[in-house]
Amino acid sequence: MKNILNKVSKTLFGSLSAMTLLMMTFPIEAFAKPKKITVGYLNLVNAQLVTKNLGLIQKEMPGVEVEHIKVGGGGDMLRAIAAKQVDFGGLGNPPTAIGVTRKLPIDGIMVLNMLDFVEAMVVRTDANIKSFKDLKGKTVAAPFGSTTHYLLLQALADEGIDPSSMTILDLRPNDIAAAWARGDLDAAWFWEPNLDKAVKRGGNIFMTSGIMEKRGYPTWDVGVVMKSFAKKYPEYVEKFVKAECAGIDFWINNPAKTAKIIAEELSLDLEDATRMMKGTEMVPCKKQLTSQYMGTSDDIGGFADTLVKTSKFLVSQKRLPKQLKRKDYEKFLDPSYLEKVVD
Amino acid sequence: MNNNQIKNKRNIKRFIPTFMRKKTFAYSMLTVNILFITWVVVTETGLADELFLPGPLKIWQSFIEVSTEGYQGNTLFVHVFTSVNRILAAFIMACIVGIPMGVLMGASKIARALLNPLIEFYRPLPPLGLYTLLVMWLGIGEESKLALLFLAALPGLIIATIQAVQNIDPVYLRVAKGLGASKKTILFNVYLPAAGPTILAGMRISLGFTYTVLVAAEIVAASAGIGWMIWDAAKFLLSDVVIMGLIVLGLTGIGLDIFMRFIGRILMPWTRYLGP
Repeated sequence: MKNILNKVSKTLFGSLSAMTLLMMTFPIEAFAKPKKITVGYLNLVNAQLVTKNLGLIQKEMPGVEVEHIKVGGGGDMLRAIAAKQVDFGGLGNPPTAIGVTRKLPIDGIMVLNMLDFVEAMVVRTDANIKSFKDLKGKTVAAPFGSTTHYLLLQALADEGIDPSSMTILDLRPNDIAAAWARGDLDAAWFWEPNLDKAVKRGGNIFMTSGIMEKRGYPTWDVGVVMKSFAKKYPEYVEKFVKAECAGIDFWINNPAKTAKIIAEELSLDLEDATRMMKGTEMVPCKKQLTSQYMGTSDDIGGFADTLVKTSKFLVSQKRLPKQLKRKDYEKFLDPSYLEKVVD
Repeated sequence: MNNNQIKNKRNIKRFIPTFMRKKTFAYSMLTVNILFITWVVVTETGLADELFLPGPLKIWQSFIEVSTEGYQGNTLFVHVFTSVNRILAAFIMACIVGIPMGVLMGASKIARALLNPLIEFYRPLPPLGLYTLLVMWLGIGEESKLALLFLAALPGLIIATIQAVQNIDPVYLRVAKGLGASKKTILFNVYLPAAGPTILAGMRISLGFTYTVLVAAEIVAASAGIGWMIWDAAKFLLSDVVIMGLIVLGLTGIGLDIFMRFIGRILMPWTRYLGP
C-alpha cells in the first residue's frame, strides 16, 4: 500500500514538475486569456458610455465576459481598486495622486477625458453669491476626495479665504441633487448628469472646472489598470485601450449619435445630453501622446506635473502623509499601450 | 500572616476593580495579547501590506496626532464627543418612546396587534436603505442622523420590553390585585421592578445595535464624528486613521456598556448578575 502511494506521488510530482518546466519555456502570455474582465466606470459624461453602449470592448475580446460597474465618484473608485474589485477603472487627478502616493498597484494607461463645464459650481440664485468671498457662512457641498473638492479648496486658497468660514459638506453627487432639491445647500461643485438637476431647481453656474484649467489647475480622468492584470494579460490591456480609443473617435466623429447614446445611458433628454457632451473634452488617442497629456514612454507629459501639483496640495490639506517626486508619478503613467494602438 | 499583612493586602486589592480580580479576566487578557502579538508579527515581518494593515506604532502615532492636532479641523475628543452625543440623544429618545410602548404591548393584546405590523415591517430593513429616504424627508442636518439612530434603537427595546412584561409571574399580579393595588401601583411596583432586568438587558443589546449604525449615520454630510472620521479617512486610504478610529469606536462602545450596567445597578439593586 505504502509503495503504491509512493509511486502515485512520484508520478504526480514528476508530471507537475514537467508541466512547470513547459510553462516556463513557453511564454505563458501568448495563451493567457482572462475569463472575465471588470470595468469600473465613473458616473459622468464621457466616451466610456459610448464604448459600453456599443459593446466595443466585447468586440475586441470575443469569448471574454465583460462586466461594467458604475461607480459614483473617485473616492469610491479608489476603494474599489484597493479592494481589487475591478480590473480597469477611471480616476480623477486627486484620487490618482492619492492612489499613486499610497502605492496602489495601478498603472495609468490613457486619458479618459478632460473636464470642462461638465463639472461646475452651482449656486442658489437667491443666495446672492457673486464671488468666492460671498460663500462665507454658507453651506457648500462637494464629494470629498474628488476633482471638484480639490478645485473648491484650491480656489478658496487662491482667494485667501479660510474654508472654515463656511460649512463644507461631503455628499455624493446624487445626494447633492436630493439635498439641493430640499433647499439645504447654497452652493455645490459637482458634475453632470446630476449637476443639471440643481441648475433646473433655482441654481446658476458660478464657476466651472474649465475656467480653473485656464487658471492652471487642469482636472481630468485617467484610465487605470491593475498592475497584476497588466502583467498577466498585456494584450488585453492593449485591446481595452483600442476599444476606448474607438469610443473616443466615435464621440468626436458622430456627435448626434453620441448624444443619443448618452441620453439613453443616463436617462436624459436629448437636449441635455447634447449640452453635457460639450462640457467634456475628449482627447483623440494620438493627441494623448503629446507633452500636454500622457507624453511618450521616453518623455512623460504634463499629467505627471498635474499629479505633482495635486499631491502637494493634498499634503497641505493633510489628506496625504507625504509627497513623491515627479519620477515616481512618471512611473505610474504608462503610455506604451497607447503607442502600440496608435501605430 | 499577621493581621496587619492581611489588612495591607486588602488595601491593595481595593484599588484593583472587581472584574480584574477574576480568573476569567486573565483569560480575556490572553486573547487580547495573542491578537496584539499576531498583529506585531504580521506587520513587522512585512507579511501584511502596510497600506492595508499598518503596525501598532503607526496606529499609536496617528492616535497622538489626531488627539492633539485633530483630523480635518476637529480633535479626536470632539469626534468622539459628537458621536456619543448623537448616540445618547437618539437612544434616550428611543427609551422614552420604546419602553412605555413595550409595556403597553406586553400588557394589552389589542395594543400589540395594532402596533406589531409597523415594527415588524421596518425592523429588518437595512439602515442605509432607510437612510436615503430619511435624508430626503428630514434633510442633511442632525435630524436625519438622529432619526436613523433612533429607528435602529427602537425595535430591540420594544421587543425586549414586551418579553419582559409577558414573562412576569402572574402570581405577582394576582397578589397585587387581590390586595387592592391600583393600576398605577401595579405599573410602578409590579411591572417595572419585575420586568426591569430583562428591559435592561434589551437596552444593552439595543445600544450595541445603535452603535453599529453610527458609521452609516455619519456618512451623509457630517463634518465631525468618529464614524465620519473613519469614512473620510478610508476615502483617502489613510488606513492608520481608519484602524485607530475603529479601536476608539470599540473602546467607546465598551465604555458605554459599562456605563449602562452601572446605571442598572443603581436603578435596580435587586438585579444580581446580568451576564457578561
